[in-house]
Amino acid sequence: MKGAATAIALPHLLSNRPLFFGSLAHAAEEADLVIAKNGAPSQLLQAALAPLGGIARFVKKGQRVVIKANIAWARTPDQACTNNPALFSALIKTCYEAGAKRVAVWDHTCDNYQFCFSRSGLKEAAQKAGADIFSGHGRNSYKQVEIQKGKKLKTVEILTDVLESDVFINLPIPKQHDATELTLGLKNLIGIVWDMEQLHKVDLHQHIADINTVRKPDLVIMDAIRILTTNGPKGPGKTEDIGEVIASTDIVAADAYAATLFKNPRTQKPFKPEEIRFVKNAYELGLGQIDLSKVRVRKVSAT
Amino acid sequence: MTRAIPYLRRTIQALSFAFLLYLILRTAFPLELNIPVDLYLRLDPFIGIITVLTKKEVILRMLPAFGVLLLVLVFGNFFCGWFCPMGATIDFFDRILFRERKRSKSFDDQPLRRLRYGVFIFSLATGLMAFQVMYLFDPISLITRTLVIAVYPPVIFVFNHLLPQVQNFLPKHSFIMSTIPMPVFKVNLLIFLFFVILLTLGVVRKRFWCRYLCPLGTLFSIVSRFRILKRFVAEDCTHCQRCVKGCPVGAIPEEIPESYRQQDCISCFKCLECPPEAVSFHFGSPKWKTVNGVSLSRRYVLGSLGFGLISALVIKSNPLQSEGGLGNNRLIRPPGSLPEEEFVSVCTGCGECLKVCPNNALQSTLLEAGLAGLYTPRLVPRIGYCEEFCNFCGRICPTEAIRPLRIEEKRLLQMGVAHINKTRCIAWDTEKICLVCNEQCSYHAIVGDEKKRPIIKEEKCTGCGICENKCPVDGEAAIIVYSSGVQKKLKPEPSNNTKG
Repeated sequence: MKGAATAIALPHLLSNRPLFFGSLAHAAEEADLVIAKNGAPSQLLQAALAPLGGIARFVKKGQRVVIKANIAWARTPDQACTNNPALFSALIKTCYEAGAKRVAVWDHTCDNYQFCFSRSGLKEAAQKAGADIFSGHGRNSYKQVEIQKGKKLKTVEILTDVLESDVFINLPIPKQHDATELTLGLKNLIGIVWDMEQLHKVDLHQHIADINTVRKPDLVIMDAIRILTTNGPKGPGKTEDIGEVIASTDIVAADAYAATLFKNPRTQKPFKPEEIRFVKNAYELGLGQIDLSKVRVRKVSAT
Repeated sequence: MTRAIPYLRRTIQALSFAFLLYLILRTAFPLELNIPVDLYLRLDPFIGIITVLTKKEVILRMLPAFGVLLLVLVFGNFFCGWFCPMGATIDFFDRILFRERKRSKSFDDQPLRRLRYGVFIFSLATGLMAFQVMYLFDPISLITRTLVIAVYPPVIFVFNHLLPQVQNFLPKHSFIMSTIPMPVFKVNLLIFLFFVILLTLGVVRKRFWCRYLCPLGTLFSIVSRFRILKRFVAEDCTHCQRCVKGCPVGAIPEEIPESYRQQDCISCFKCLECPPEAVSFHFGSPKWKTVNGVSLSRRYVLGSLGFGLISALVIKSNPLQSEGGLGNNRLIRPPGSLPEEEFVSVCTGCGECLKVCPNNALQSTLLEAGLAGLYTPRLVPRIGYCEEFCNFCGRICPTEAIRPLRIEEKRLLQMGVAHINKTRCIAWDTEKICLVCNEQCSYHAIVGDEKKRPIIKEEKCTGCGICENKCPVDGEAAIIVYSSGVQKKLKPEPSNNTKG
């Protein structure tokens, strides 16, 4: 059965390849997954983007960029429950430098959005960088869509701005999570959905995978500068300074790599990507490659 | 010059009302206004005096109210005519909608005028018995409550529904893009109807409320009998009755327009529009004596007093207020609230905390807290939960019924404890993976067991209700917060936000 799923997934992956290789006008696209280490957040971002072909590969002049950040909780940046503000504003600035017409940041926050925005420091960071920052607390910001590829979820209300964006960037922060073991890039997209809590009723893992079929992010920037290893996703808990920024066009591969940054409390060994069910479900839906040996991974140093 | 005075007064009334609106709108996140947003309530000596009676101590935040009383001693009852937002609203509606009926005979309101003294004595009596029932009649509390509960939500409703229609024509800006979360209140219709009824009474008599009911106005009346700024009429008076008809509160008797009831005069200076220019205002020595005053018989005063005392006793023997401990365990008070008995005695039900609550968690009670607790705030987690880093309600409560707490104190205050209904819980009942309550809990009070089913740690639970609020079960949540009776301090745990 598993083989069958892979067989379905692979042609899908391959069908993406021509697109992938097609835009050779830019700098060398030498990798699908880049892990940048050693450096300040903005340096890490640039270093991680370069082997993918630079930001110019993703953001063209005059395009509208939507970033799904993680601002879900009213926590301070040092608690690693929300995005690193320096990386966050570096990403916005990079998009503008690439010629973006407008950059909008969205999150459907869990705590009250005003407290989330101010305590996380991300509202200030966004405004300084010139981006609009929005909270999905109003239902008028959403649009009902059908999920054709969804296995269990058939319709869902998604942020209209995300659906209409030219470039969609997913900016998750990987964290330990009591319900799903980890929260990674795929799970970050729960924050573009109106009925977030309702997803838990049938099958959370499958629903996460299903939602990710609606609008695939063009770029995933994984904010693993500091990660939360206990009491996730809300924290505060123990944090670990990894100092990495992971950039990828393949959300499953990015999650698969990020999962290995955490220790499985049962085995005391780093998580295997397959142990995170929503990553596996997403792979089976053909959203990306879970086996990192089949992905062009590149580790770079920013300094 | 004198002709401009009514316009000036109307302008000031409008400005005063607009200022109240502004303050109410600013009673919201991030609450960084330099002037207290509950300014009008703090300037209300009726609330000041009744809280002294009920709480048996002076509330510091209410001190400015007594300054207003001093001003009234000088200028007479100027507040009602110039600054009272309730008076401004009534004047406005008396003018445009509820016009006073024309009468062939003159209207003898002598018996009606006693009414508000009766109301006032009733308030004092119930106040002595430590009940706040009469705050409901305080005009400032009344108008604030009405604006917050009955007017603000419909305005937001209209805004939110117009927004998508015009959104495409407007520039993209976070304020314009986002709808404002609309607050909802269960008692809104009652409060709205009560207010409309008060306004329609203007058909009977202009400013009906102010003349015959308002307890704050009564207090001002009693004080302004000693007023220093007084009205004088020269001998040129022709008894043309112009001032009698023009007086918005009917303080000038028809037969002797040279005199006036100084306690009822609201210093609007309309009577300065006198054809022979016989009327003037200047300072004079205070006199208690008045003409045509209300006849408060001993029977009436004692009757009102007794009525008040007995009413208070009846309220007190309600099961929710009695000492039998039959309290409502779903009645969760805002963080930092005084013990229930004191709380109902000082909460004026003004609704400021309802407005400031960022999550619409605070709701006005109807009878959940007994009659004594009518329109007092309670936390209804299914509608909204208590935000972890918010202490706004305590910061704006004019009578400190909700004490101001620092964030650290508030985060360690237990208002209630959550309980799981295992037959409804997704994780316990169907063994699916949910744990929404655990991920939402700000205090690590809910942990998942080996099968990822939630378990509550009561010693850490503050009763904020975020778990009940976010529980994905339809209708009543599978996790419910029950009041813990008296709010108590939890033991602080060493911060586990350690690096590495």
